[in-house]
Amino acid sequence: MATKVVERKPLNLAERSYLPQIVGGLKITFRNMWKPPVTLEYPEQRPNIPDRYRGVPTLVKDPNGREKCVACQLCEFVCPPRAIRIDPGEIPEDSEHAHVEKAPREFKIDMLRCIYCGLCEEVCPEEAIFLQDTFSVNGLSRAELVFNKKKLYQLGGTLPDSHYKWDKKRDAAEKGGDEH
Amino acid sequence: MATITIDGQSYEADPSANLLQAALTLGFDLPYFCWHPALGSVGACRQCAVRQYRDEEDTTGQIVMACMVPVADGLRCSIVEPEAAEFRAEVIEWLMSNHPHDCPVCDEGGECHLQDMTVMTGHCKRRFRFPKRTFRNQYLGPFINHEMNRCIQCYRCVRFYGDYAGGSDLVAMAAHNHVYFGRHEEGILENEFSGNLVEICPTGVFTDKTLKHHYSRKWDMVSSPSVCSHCAVGCNTIASTRYGSVRRILNRYHHDINGYFLCDRGRFGYTFTDAADRLRRPLLHPDRERDVETVAEPAEAMKRIREIFSEATGVAGIGSPRASLESNYALRNLVGSGRFSSGLPRIEHDATTALLEAMRNAPDGPGSLRDAERADAVLILGEDPNNTAPRLALALRQSVRNEPIRADAGSRIPRWHDRAIRDFVQDRKGPLFIAWPASTRLDDLAAGTHRAAPDEIARLGFAVAHAIDPQSPAVTDLDDSASDLASRIARALKEADRPMVVSGTALRSPAIIAAAAATVHALRRTGSGGSSFLAVAPEANTIGDAMLEGAPLETLEQQLESGEVDTLVILENDIYRRLPAPATDRIISKARRIIALDSIATATTNRADVVLPAGSFAESDGTFVNHEGRAQRFFQPLPPAGDVLEAWRWIGRIAAETGTSKQNEWDRLDRVLTALARDCPELAPARDAAPDAAFRANGQRFPRAPRRFSGRTSILSHLSVHEPKPPEDSDSPLSFTMEGHSGQPPAALVSHYWSPGWNSSQALNKFQSEVAGPARGGDPGARLIPGNGPNERPSTAIPAPVPDDDQTLLAVPCYEVFGSDELSARAPAVAERIPKPYVALAPTDAEHHGLDSGDSLNLLIGELRVSAPVRLDPKLPPGLCGIPAGMPGWSVPHLPARASVVT
Amino acid sequence: MNLRAETMEHIDATIPRYPHKRSAVMPLLHAVQRDQGYISNEAIAWVAGKLGLEPVNVYEVVTFYPFFRQAPIGRRHIRLCRTLSCALCGGFGIAEVLEEAFECRMGETAPDGSATLEWAECLASCDKGPVLMLDDDLHENLTEEGVRELARTIRAENAEGSDSSMTGNNS
Repeated sequence: MATKVVERKPLNLAERSYLPQIVGGLKITFRNMWKPPVTLEYPEQRPNIPDRYRGVPTLVKDPNGREKCVACQLCEFVCPPRAIRIDPGEIPEDSEHAHVEKAPREFKIDMLRCIYCGLCEEVCPEEAIFLQDTFSVNGLSRAELVFNKKKLYQLGGTLPDSHYKWDKKRDAAEKGGDEH
Repeated sequence: MATITIDGQSYEADPSANLLQAALTLGFDLPYFCWHPALGSVGACRQCAVRQYRDEEDTTGQIVMACMVPVADGLRCSIVEPEAAEFRAEVIEWLMSNHPHDCPVCDEGGECHLQDMTVMTGHCKRRFRFPKRTFRNQYLGPFINHEMNRCIQCYRCVRFYGDYAGGSDLVAMAAHNHVYFGRHEEGILENEFSGNLVEICPTGVFTDKTLKHHYSRKWDMVSSPSVCSHCAVGCNTIASTRYGSVRRILNRYHHDINGYFLCDRGRFGYTFTDAADRLRRPLLHPDRERDVETVAEPAEAMKRIREIFSEATGVAGIGSPRASLESNYALRNLVGSGRFSSGLPRIEHDATTALLEAMRNAPDGPGSLRDAERADAVLILGEDPNNTAPRLALALRQSVRNEPIRADAGSRIPRWHDRAIRDFVQDRKGPLFIAWPASTRLDDLAAGTHRAAPDEIARLGFAVAHAIDPQSPAVTDLDDSASDLASRIARALKEADRPMVVSGTALRSPAIIAAAAATVHALRRTGSGGSSFLAVAPEANTIGDAMLEGAPLETLEQQLESGEVDTLVILENDIYRRLPAPATDRIISKARRIIALDSIATATTNRADVVLPAGSFAESDGTFVNHEGRAQRFFQPLPPAGDVLEAWRWIGRIAAETGTSKQNEWDRLDRVLTALARDCPELAPARDAAPDAAFRANGQRFPRAPRRFSGRTSILSHLSVHEPKPPEDSDSPLSFTMEGHSGQPPAALVSHYWSPGWNSSQALNKFQSEVAGPARGGDPGARLIPGNGPNERPSTAIPAPVPDDDQTLLAVPCYEVFGSDELSARAPAVAERIPKPYVALAPTDAEHHGLDSGDSLNLLIGELRVSAPVRLDPKLPPGLCGIPAGMPGWSVPHLPARASVVT
Repeated sequence: MNLRAETMEHIDATIPRYPHKRSAVMPLLHAVQRDQGYISNEAIAWVAGKLGLEPVNVYEVVTFYPFFRQAPIGRRHIRLCRTLSCALCGGFGIAEVLEEAFECRMGETAPDGSATLEWAECLASCDKGPVLMLDDDLHENLTEEGVRELARTIRAENAEGSDSSMTGNNS
């Protein structure tokens, strides 16, 4: 392959003094010094997470404080890495939610196995499990990273509900129908 | 066979079936609700619509219900035809208009026939936008949960409960869109077959309440083929588990035995496996008289056993009718057949031996439940099937329709046409005769009953034999009503095509069994070809235990007395239930050392030096021999946890440890079975009850877990991120995981019913050679007793009439479906249904002693004092009293016996 | 069961007319309802005993037919037609008048117990709508004023006869 030798041009005086370059560089520095910053002071500052972000799966309650999960086990069924374990339980007869019939006695998600695919959220017929904005999970042992029901509700909190379908069911049973 | 055309293809089909049955048999997916293979067709739900064509030229045809169309040569129809398909989708849409869509909280979700059918028809969008009708649910007892809103009005529940099982407290009420299935008022469903509603109901109206307390989805349960351990019928079951405990029992179809149904004792008795008094660790009792026990490591217990054996002058073994054949045989091999006891007292031992003799002697071998269902004249001699063999009572309930159907026009109505058959039969009943001391729950069907003492029942049986064939010896001094009844029974049995005599050990009377056998042989001699003898035994392996020919407990007592034996190994047997407490105490105190193996803590294990935790049916592999001499294998759904081992494996280890025999290679079920076959030729076919452990399909094992099993990696994730190695199974071709052969296993290895598109137990249709026919590849189990042809062996002498006795009462055992069985009585749900202690008394006797219903009656039976409230039974003859057998907490063994009333 | 002598007589005469005793369940229930005004749980058990049935079998029949009543009704029974012809002739207006006059909604009993209002399907008198049945009597060509007058009469009768028995509305 042919090569071509390029002659280097000799530097002129201004160039040899480096001053114009230093001034130019400082200009950029000073200009940015007064601009608003584009980075975040993580972890003191938290990023703005988009609505559809898929963070850690969590369990949520409705605004009345009812745990929405009814332990149908569909998320357990659909979970590709088989990371969810649900132990279904009954709701005591004297509870105001007795007509819901079921609630999880225990609900565990192995966060080491979870792949954040969101299938559990998609399959949930009760809108009870959401991948929300928590994205960092850490712990000192494997056991700590198997989140139990308490922890999952802690992370999930309360989300607005547009249906209150179980309240509707109770009202329907109390008011109308009652054919027998 | 008839040739029918479905969607342009020709197929062979059974002309005695209907089109729906034929289509399902041929593998077509055709939705249905009101039809059930055991209940027949009523054509009510309009779901199985197909288009039928007159002939090849006919392109219009008409929509018909497949379940109401008899298969006939040249029948042409289309399932896929668009209008028929749309019709089916619309029917589902109507049915779903009031359905609550609460699948997430419904126990049926994932195994729901309604879900399956909805998907099958393609209905997916609800157009009905009005409020759904709602109902108030009822409390139906500890077994069944009621959620009426889910109902789609298929009427299968009341058709099963009322028409099939004879229950009167579940009915259809009201009309139009508010039809309600329930009781008149809240309360326990009385019928002992109510549990079948769980499988009969196509959706979640009736669900298993015991499952609800520890719920798991069908796809998450690890299941194995099992055999019910609560009576001798040996119904095939599927035992399902999750997280190390049994969650439910489902019916496993066996064409000759349980068919589609189980009794409630079998379905809900399983929770004894989780009861607090289960033994899970070896126990040592340093002092047998004091209630001190220490939990030991297995090695420690074994060391103690080695010491005991080395000190012993002689070791005897007490077998058990509730332990598996393998365990009993292993014990017999450990102690030698001269020192092996069947674990029964003489009174039961003699009756059981007589029963086994009668079974071997029966012309075609012992009859099955299927024979009972097809019998057209039945004599029950000294048995109360509803309480001693409940599933048999359900079969006999069907038999009384056979004679009326056979008569004239009935024979031209296809058997599947349920409505027409029932309209034709009305209230007519075929001959069913019951001889039993007290009233029974089959009395409403009986053409005649004989209430008498056991010996009188035997005398009636011999009189029937004599009336059938004068060659049989005559009975002298029979009273007029009994001899009149005997000739009526004889006439009915002789006129029948398939007469059947049911008898068993319930009254512990060898004479009754001999009389039954004499009747069957008299029938055979006089030319009735189809006559059969159905034997009823009390416990899951009574027959298997008897076939090992152990001695009665009393013989063992003599051996202890003579000093020949000073150490006992007691296998899954609570002797306190067999003998009166004083007699048991004598045996226990004479034995210097006792080693007990059991799955549950009993009065006997409390007095053993060493107790080893044996597996229940859920942790064991083994074989039970049922009432018809059929060896049936059950497989463990759970790998044994903790120190629990199968009893035969423990005994093998004891043998290896003490060097008493060469059993140390007995670490596999197949090796025990091989040795058994060598030693006991009659039991050799038991090996073929199920494929051996080396059996594979395409080199693969058969999975216990369904393919959609979930949570696998998370269950133990807090312990290790690596999935643990699944337990290995050296005793069966089953695996504990979901890996393995994906096709259908042989019938003996079926762990769950599932087929693409069929998630409910209705997938069973795909596991049968034809709908409601035998399983594909043959029904499981091996018959051990082939029958003896027409050669009758001489039978026991006819007993003398029972003399009148004003001083004492004859105490006879009576039975309770919930309570008389030892294991199921420990299940909380069943325990709720156990009646309070009572002594049944005839009103005249009660009056004589100045007693009224509920008053306390004190009896002295031998050396045992019994005290219980009186229950008046107007059907009971004077001079008798009935005492329920085997009731937890106050069992009165060793009946019948004379009892004197003490004041 | 506290039935009148003629009802008992009628019942005893009815049962032997059928080859199976159980077939008499409907006539017996009609007789009891005529006598008592409705069919109580006690009556169900009594009929069952009379025919050798389980009470629940009779209960099935009672719940199947809407015209068998399980609760007492008012002194008079008013069934107003709501089918098309009567509706076009102002049947629903009549219903409002009735509701106002008896101070209760359709399907309910007046607070004074004078009458029970119910909807009926076509009473087969479409050319003379709106129509209603007062117990067993058909009233045709109803006008709002006429109905008000009828209601007044019924309530007045009730006030007079309130000290006598409440039952026997249909006889």
